[in-house]
Amino acid sequence: MLTLELQATPEEVMRAVDALEDFCQAEQLPKSVTFGLTLALEECGSNVINHALQRDANQTFRVTVERTAGEIVIELRDRGPEFDPTKAVEKDASDEDSPGGWGIQLVRRYTDEARYQREAGQNILRLSKRLGGTMTGN
Amino acid sequence: MPLEIQIQKNVAPNAGVITVQLTGSLDTATAPELERQLAPALGGPVKEVVFDLANLKFISSAGLRVFSTTRKTLKERGGQASFVNMQPQIQEVFEIMKSLPGVAVFRNVAELDRYLAARQRSHEENR
Repeated sequence: MLTLELQATPEEVMRAVDALEDFCQAEQLPKSVTFGLTLALEECGSNVINHALQRDANQTFRVTVERTAGEIVIELRDRGPEFDPTKAVEKDASDEDSPGGWGIQLVRRYTDEARYQREAGQNILRLSKRLGGTMTGN
Repeated sequence: MPLEIQIQKNVAPNAGVITVQLTGSLDTATAPELERQLAPALGGPVKEVVFDLANLKFISSAGLRVFSTTRKTLKERGGQASFVNMQPQIQEVFEIMKSLPGVAVFRNVAELDRYLAARQRSHEENR
């Protein structure tokens, strides 16, 4: 299990991404799974610092990563105002002037589930990726 | 992982083409630096920017957005952004924006050079 307390800056998001990469390598996960999970964490961590915490470096958020028998679960928690990234609208890719919604599209593509909860004043986002087998197609 | 950025102005016959080599990770922390370095390069009469991604290991939507704004600037001048030597995992992420106008993808430098040469010829014929 990996637990990180991070400040709301892009550099800290990437510190979490690097730590997740090391974790996945230690767990001997396939490179494609590692790439997808680090990308999903980059996107969700960026959402937390840009939207929930408004780039206030005095604010912190927490990332935990856990491997169970069949899956990897990444959890992001912050105490910012309610923000549910899974409700972000996936804009039409042909809307070239507003390339928003790309982040959440990538998260959905590289994970099996992204579940949001608001609990005790915290935003909690859980990303999960099933391991082994060919069910996920990735 | 940091991002290394090398920007080169090409010489004739491909003057007006800028090549940008990216090594490392184009992400939420490094995308602003690429944007900052591209700004002066795009200030001139450049119509084509070639992003060589042979050594790019990671990209997120923050990186795609820099590509997309560059593409938009060039498209408004009748140019485009070209992408060459994408590794498979980068190509997969890139799928999201590859159909936007002003984007051209080439498998390798030879394919890109043939395209640029043909484009050069058609410019000369139109003169």
